[in-house]
Amino acid sequence: MRMRSLCALAAPAFLIASLLAVAPATTHAQESENPYTTRLDVRMGQRLYQQQCGRCHGQDGGGGELGPALDEGFRNASTDAGLFRIVREGIPNSQMIGISRNATDQSVWMVVSFLNSLNNTVDVDLPGNASNGRQLFTGKGNCSGCHMVSGDGGRRGPELTAIGSRRDPDELRASLTDPSEDVPPRWWTVRVTREDGSVVEGLRMNEDTFSLRIMDENEALWSFLKGSVQSHERIKTSIMPSATDTLTASEVDDLIAYLFSLKREDI
Amino acid sequence: MRRLSILVATATLVALQVLAQPGGAPSAGPALTPVTWERLVNAEDEPENWLMYSGTLDSQRFSRLDQVDRTNVGDLELKWAYQIPQLDRSETVPIVVDGVMFITEAPSNVVAVDAATGRQFWRYNHPLPDDLRICCGRNNRGVAILGETLYMSTLDAKLAAIDARSGNLLWASEAADYRSGYSKTSAPLIVKDQVVTGIAGGEYGIRGFLDSYDPENGERNWRTYTIPGPDHPDSQTWAGDSWRTGGSPTWLTGSYDPDLDLIYWGTGNPGPDWNGDVRMGDNLYSDSALALRGDGGGMEWYFQFTPHDVHDWDAIQIPILADLEFEGEERKVMMWANRNAFFYVFDRETGEFLLGKPFAKMTWAEPELDSNGRPIRIPNMEPTAQGVLVSPPVGGGTNWFSPAYSPQTELFYVQAFDGEAIYFKRDEEYVEGDQFTGGGQQYNLPMDEYQSSIRAIDPKTGDIAWDYWIQPRSTAGIMTTAGDLVFSGTIDGYFFALDAETGEELWHMNVGRRVHSAPMSYAVNGQQYVTIAAGNVVYTFGLRD
Repeated sequence: MRMRSLCALAAPAFLIASLLAVAPATTHAQESENPYTTRLDVRMGQRLYQQQCGRCHGQDGGGGELGPALDEGFRNASTDAGLFRIVREGIPNSQMIGISRNATDQSVWMVVSFLNSLNNTVDVDLPGNASNGRQLFTGKGNCSGCHMVSGDGGRRGPELTAIGSRRDPDELRASLTDPSEDVPPRWWTVRVTREDGSVVEGLRMNEDTFSLRIMDENEALWSFLKGSVQSHERIKTSIMPSATDTLTASEVDDLIAYLFSLKREDI
Repeated sequence: MRRLSILVATATLVALQVLAQPGGAPSAGPALTPVTWERLVNAEDEPENWLMYSGTLDSQRFSRLDQVDRTNVGDLELKWAYQIPQLDRSETVPIVVDGVMFITEAPSNVVAVDAATGRQFWRYNHPLPDDLRICCGRNNRGVAILGETLYMSTLDAKLAAIDARSGNLLWASEAADYRSGYSKTSAPLIVKDQVVTGIAGGEYGIRGFLDSYDPENGERNWRTYTIPGPDHPDSQTWAGDSWRTGGSPTWLTGSYDPDLDLIYWGTGNPGPDWNGDVRMGDNLYSDSALALRGDGGGMEWYFQFTPHDVHDWDAIQIPILADLEFEGEERKVMMWANRNAFFYVFDRETGEFLLGKPFAKMTWAEPELDSNGRPIRIPNMEPTAQGVLVSPPVGGGTNWFSPAYSPQTELFYVQAFDGEAIYFKRDEEYVEGDQFTGGGQQYNLPMDEYQSSIRAIDPKTGDIAWDYWIQPRSTAGIMTTAGDLVFSGTIDGYFFALDAETGEELWHMNVGRRVHSAPMSYAVNGQQYVTIAAGNVVYTFGLRD
C-alpha cells in the first residue's frame, strides 16, 4: 500500500501556538497570491493541517472518515485565494467548517502551501525522453488501449491526463514495473458466476452489500444483485502487465518521462 | 414563564385537532397531548409513539409494534420523504408524539411534521454564531419532550426549550462558553422533573460534565463533572494540572432506571486524545460508564473501560438496560458494546462486572479482561511519532451508533467494524478554543479491505449468535421490533431489515445517501411506520396499502 511519508516534524509546539495567536484573523486574505511557499512554510502548514484538518481529511490528506481526499485535486477551489477562503471560512451549508478563528492569515497560507504540495510533484531531471515515451504509450507499449489521456484511449485503466501532478517518477516506475503491488479497489477484478454457471469477469467499478457493477474486457457494463448470482470472487491483482515484459529499460525511462510530463496545469 | 401545571390540563383542553397540510385530507389525529413523566416511564405501553431518543428509558430500541414482521416486511414501500433544507449528514432520530413528528436538523434546528404525511407544522431555527468550535460536523441527534415542551441541544452549547405546538423558543440556557470549545449535539434525557443533558468538546481540552436543568425555566439543578477536581482523591489519576483540560465529554444520551433512580451515562476520551504523556494516570472518569443518582447527580458507581486511553475510544455508547437471568440468577443488567471492541455486561445496581468479551477485531489488549473487567494491555500499542498499527481504528469496534436489544430473542445487536489504523502522536500545547488532540490516525488499507457487520450477541455468554456482513461498512444505529426484525443502514445508502433471530436479509432499499442515524418506528391511525434519516432526507416506510 502506498503511504505518503508522514515525517515527524521537529517544529516545536510553541511555533504553532504563535501562528494561532499572534495576529487577529481576517475573513479574507489581503493577498491574492500565497506569500508563504517555502519548504519550511509547507512543513508548518502540514503540522497545522494535521492538528486542525487531519481528523476529517486524513493525516496525510488521503481522505478520512468525514472528509474527502485532498491529494487528487480540489473540488471547490482552483486558485490559492480560493483555497485560502475555504480553509478560512469553510464551505457554507456543509460539514466543512473553517479553521480555528485564532489562526493567523500566515498560518492559513501555510496550510494552503501544504495542500498544494499534495497535488504538485516537484520537477526533476529525468533520464528518459518524453516524446519517445508518448509514442510508446500509443504504440509498442499499448498503454492507450486501456488508459485515456485528454479524451483518447481505453477505459480499462485509470485516466492519466494529469498523472504527473499526482505521482512522482518513483511512484510511476513502481506502477509500471510491478502493477499488482498496490491495486486500488476500483481496479480489482471481480469474477461473477451466474446461476446458470456462466461466468462474467470485469473490473470492479462499484460494490456494496447487495450489488456490484463491473466493466468487462469489451468495456461493457454489468450490474448484478449478489442474491441473484451463484458466487462472486475478488481478484486483487492488476490486469496490467509489467512494462518490463515488452519494453526495454530505456523505453521504460521514456514512458516515465512522458507520464510525468502530464500536468494538471496543461489541461 | 409557563408552569408545568398547565401541561397537565385535561384532555379536552389539549385535544386540539390539527389539520393536515393543504392538499392532504385531514387526518384522524394528530392531537398532541402532554407528555407526562408517567408516560415516559411507561413509554413501552404506547408503542404508537416514540417518545425519546432511544424509544424507552432503558434504551433497548425495541418497538413493540408488530404489524410489520418477517412475513410481510418485503411489502414495505415509501410513504413520504422530508427534505432537510441543509446540505449535511443527518444524525437525527425523530420522536413521535400522537401523530406529530419532531425532527432535528443541522446545525441546531427542529421541525414538526405530520407523522402520517411528512408535511410541516412549524420549524425553529436556532441562531448560531459563526465561530463555532466543533470537531466532527454540525450534528444534532434529536430532542426530548416533557409536557408540551421540546428540549434541544445546540452547537453553541445551549439547552433550548421550544414550545411543541408552535415552535416558539421558550428559553435557552447556556451550559458553557462555546468559544472555549464546548458544544452540544445530543438529545437530552428527561429524568422525572429534570432535563439531563451532556456536553461535547473532547477534542478541545474541555472539562466534561453532565447537567440537570429545571424544565420550566432552564435553571441548572446540578452539575456532575466527569473529571474530579483536585479536592477529590480520584484527581490523582491525572498528572499535574492535566485534569483542567482532560476532556471526558458526555456527548450522547444516557439511560435511566426509575426503580433504582440511577442515570447511566457514558463519558468520552481524555484530552489530548492521542498523546497521553501529559496526563499520566488512569484519567478518571474518562471512557467510563457513570451511574448517577437521579436526585442530585451524585455518583453511585463508575466503571472505566479504557484506563489512560490514547486511541480516542470514547465510552460514548448507549447503555442498554434489561432484566436477565444471568448464571441462574435474575439480574438487573446493563449491556455495553464499547468503542474499544469489548462487549460488557454489568449488574447495574452495584456496578459489578459480570462479563466482557471482544466483539470486533482487537489487537491492543489480551482478549481476556481481568476479574474486575480491566483490560490487560499488549505492549507497544501506544501512538508514536512514526505511527503504530492498532485495531480497532479511531472509529472503534463500534462507536456512538445506537445498539438494540430484543426481549423476544434476548439478543443484543451492535454495529461492529473489523478495522485497523496507524496511530500517530505529536506534541501539542493547549490553546483555549483550539483543537487539542496530540496526534491522529490514518487507515492502513483502502476501506474496501475492511469489514463491517451487524453482530447479534448473546448477553449471557458474550458469544456472537449471528453476523451480517456489510460492504463496505456501516455507521448506522439499529432498531429491533416485536415483528422480530432488525433495521439498520449502510454508509453507501442502503436501509435494510434482517430476521432478528437468524440475521437473514429480508428487505432492503437504496435510499441514496449515507445512513448515519438510527431507525425508529411508530403508528398513526393503525398503520405502523418505520423512519430513517439518510443523507439529509428523512424517509418513512409502511406496508403497501
